Amino acid sequence: MTATTAGGLSSSNTTREHVSSWVGVLVLLAGWELAARLLTEAYVLAAPLEILRYLAGDWQLMARALSVTLGNAAAGFVIGNLAALALAALALVWPRSERVITELALLVFCLPLVATGPILRVIFGPGDGPQIALAALAVYYTTLIPVLVGLRAAPDSWFDLVRSYGRGKWSALIHVRAMAALPYLFTGLQIAAPASFLGAMVGEFTGAERGMGVLTVRAIRALDVEMTWGIATVATAVAIVVYLAIGALARRVLLADPPVLLAAPPRQGAQRRAWVTLSIVIVLALGLWAGAIWLFGLNPFFAKSPVQVFDAVFLASDAAETRATLARALGETAVFLLPGYVAGLLAGAGLAILLTLVPALAGAAMPLAIALRSVPIVTTAPLIVLLLGRGATGTIVLVAVMVFFPTFVACLHGLRQAPGQIMDVFDSYAASPFARLIRVRIPAMLPAFFAAARMAVPASVLAVTVVEWLATGAGIGSLMALSSSLSDYDMLWSAVVLVSVLSALGYALVGMVERRVLATYAPEQLS
Amino acid sequence: MAPDPTPPPEIVCTGLRKTFADGTEAVRETDITFAAGHTTALVGPSGCGKSTLLRMIAGLETPSGGEIRIAGAPPAETLRRAGLSVAFQDPSLLPWRSVRGNIELALGLARRPVDPAAIDQLIALVGLDGFGDTRPAALSGGMRQRAAIARALATKPGLLLLDEPFGAVDELTRQQLAQDLPRIWEAQGTTTLLVTHSVSEAVHLSDRVIVLSPRPARVVADIAIDLPRPRNVDGLRTPEATALIEQVFAELAHGIAAADKPLAAQ
Repeated sequence: MTATTAGGLSSSNTTREHVSSWVGVLVLLAGWELAARLLTEAYVLAAPLEILRYLAGDWQLMARALSVTLGNAAAGFVIGNLAALALAALALVWPRSERVITELALLVFCLPLVATGPILRVIFGPGDGPQIALAALAVYYTTLIPVLVGLRAAPDSWFDLVRSYGRGKWSALIHVRAMAALPYLFTGLQIAAPASFLGAMVGEFTGAERGMGVLTVRAIRALDVEMTWGIATVATAVAIVVYLAIGALARRVLLADPPVLLAAPPRQGAQRRAWVTLSIVIVLALGLWAGAIWLFGLNPFFAKSPVQVFDAVFLASDAAETRATLARALGETAVFLLPGYVAGLLAGAGLAILLTLVPALAGAAMPLAIALRSVPIVTTAPLIVLLLGRGATGTIVLVAVMVFFPTFVACLHGLRQAPGQIMDVFDSYAASPFARLIRVRIPAMLPAFFAAARMAVPASVLAVTVVEWLATGAGIGSLMALSSSLSDYDMLWSAVVLVSVLSALGYALVGMVERRVLATYAPEQLS
Repeated sequence: MAPDPTPPPEIVCTGLRKTFADGTEAVRETDITFAAGHTTALVGPSGCGKSTLLRMIAGLETPSGGEIRIAGAPPAETLRRAGLSVAFQDPSLLPWRSVRGNIELALGLARRPVDPAAIDQLIALVGLDGFGDTRPAALSGGMRQRAAIARALATKPGLLLLDEPFGAVDELTRQQLAQDLPRIWEAQGTTTLLVTHSVSEAVHLSDRVIVLSPRPARVVADIAIDLPRPRNVDGLRTPEATALIEQVFAELAHGIAAADKPLAAQ
């Protein structure tokens, strides 16, 4: 019994889940079609049939745009993942660097794509550079972290075995570590594929000539409902297909499905070492920043050094004004971001918990949710704005949706991890489903919930800044877009620093809560 | 199969000590010599440091003091030649390789040629006929341990270190293995060290039983097992065998009582 669940691919289960998730998809489509017909006067919702008609009519335009974006996304996907593997390798051969690498990587991952896009556009000029760079930036972190975990996901005795035959680190790497890391690598790649597509599209927002991002901007300007929906549909379909393709490849290569979780909790070090690491990270970040400007000989009018940013925010004659502007924009963003983030987490965890009380539904929801998790939500931003307007509701909903899917999937998975033997003990006392839920399942879910909550921090910042940029015209995202179009580069760079640092801090804060909670409920996760 | 099976070495431990970084003293000043080609069982209460002793001889753990000589050379030398095999407590089969694949990996790591027929023989010997292409996840705990034993034998090592290799193996198979394994060791000429909890297993399999005290491990008794070979289950019921088993039990109990005394005195 245990043997089959540990190694096999529960195939009988998946067949039934496939059927029920297809039923789920059909119900969804029917409801959509119906709603669109009812709302036909409102010009917000295009029915599936209309979208198909639009795509059939304009397929050449769409295909050209898609091939451009796919090409850039693929290039960024390869570069970003290779960078992740290189960083993981560095951390492996030089373990003391691991914390610095992961923290620096997080900081870079937290750079708001909305602002790095225009900056890269100025550096690269016209062409595909920014799209590829943003696609790479969007993927490397979500591959780096699971691979780092995977390279260690082997018991000590396997390494003893290799040593007992007189072999060293290289044999251990090839025969044990690399193989043990493969499932984790695939998890990273599955997340990375749709993320690279999203990165490429955001790159195209910054003034590319061709691509899905360009079409999106055009559709929003023209308030073209069918085109907006058409683009979102194609982006979604591409994301799901790529996600499933990598999943299928993983199942051919691996013994079991790739793990659903993408990140282990950051390891807790001694307090003093944490400060040392942080100082090294800050020095390195500032050094890389100033070094890059010097190395590439960037124009000082456009490329602001750390000293110039510090000057603009604290010393210049208009520093107080700059600070006030930044604070006002941040305040506007927080009003959207925080409720959306919390609502997404609660809805994701709540629905997952509700579904475990109805196991039949949970089986159907899991594959559907996993597929939908891969949807580049931000590409649907224009739709949500169409549906809910440019006010607070639309933005909050978008952030919530962005947070919802990964949280939901992670929590469903976590709830299934409830240890069978403990459940048996509860069964033997005829405990109610509610008691089992509170005492066994929810504690078992917490590690997954927090892993999702941490990763949701940069994701929700990305969502809110993109919507502010594309649609609502308020908050820090809009401020960054505005400063870049007004060539107010002091403001732009200050905003980038602020957003990255705050995202990284938010991530660290969730990590701190996580460690406190897990110390009680899942101490084995912290070793 | 291997053209040049390494000859069984003599192992000499002098003043061997091990204290871990956290201050745990696992092995205290021990002198033992293991004769070449003999099978020696190390018996002692759980956690007494017998596995640590084995790991030091395997070269997987560095002694805190004293010296180990395997055929006159330090353990690292034996490791370098892949002249030993360890069957670990945890079977440590790689889950992505079949039973055969795990054995082939060991041969590859030890830089020995792969002979499919010889592998089949080994798989049959440990009673896994028909499971050669099965992955570990689909095997029971006992079957995994048997696969690990087959892997350990595959490289025809001169030195075989077995750390509780029969823990999860069922009683009948265990008896069968206890009959078959000594024959292989004799045929190949192997110095075998067997760490075990089971007194009857120790007596049944070995030429000599060394009884260790509770942690830190010291030698309490050194008992020669001069029962005739080949041995079978019935052999264990003879008065000679029963007497030896009784003697080992008595020494074990004696070692534990002696270790308790200082505590009782306090």
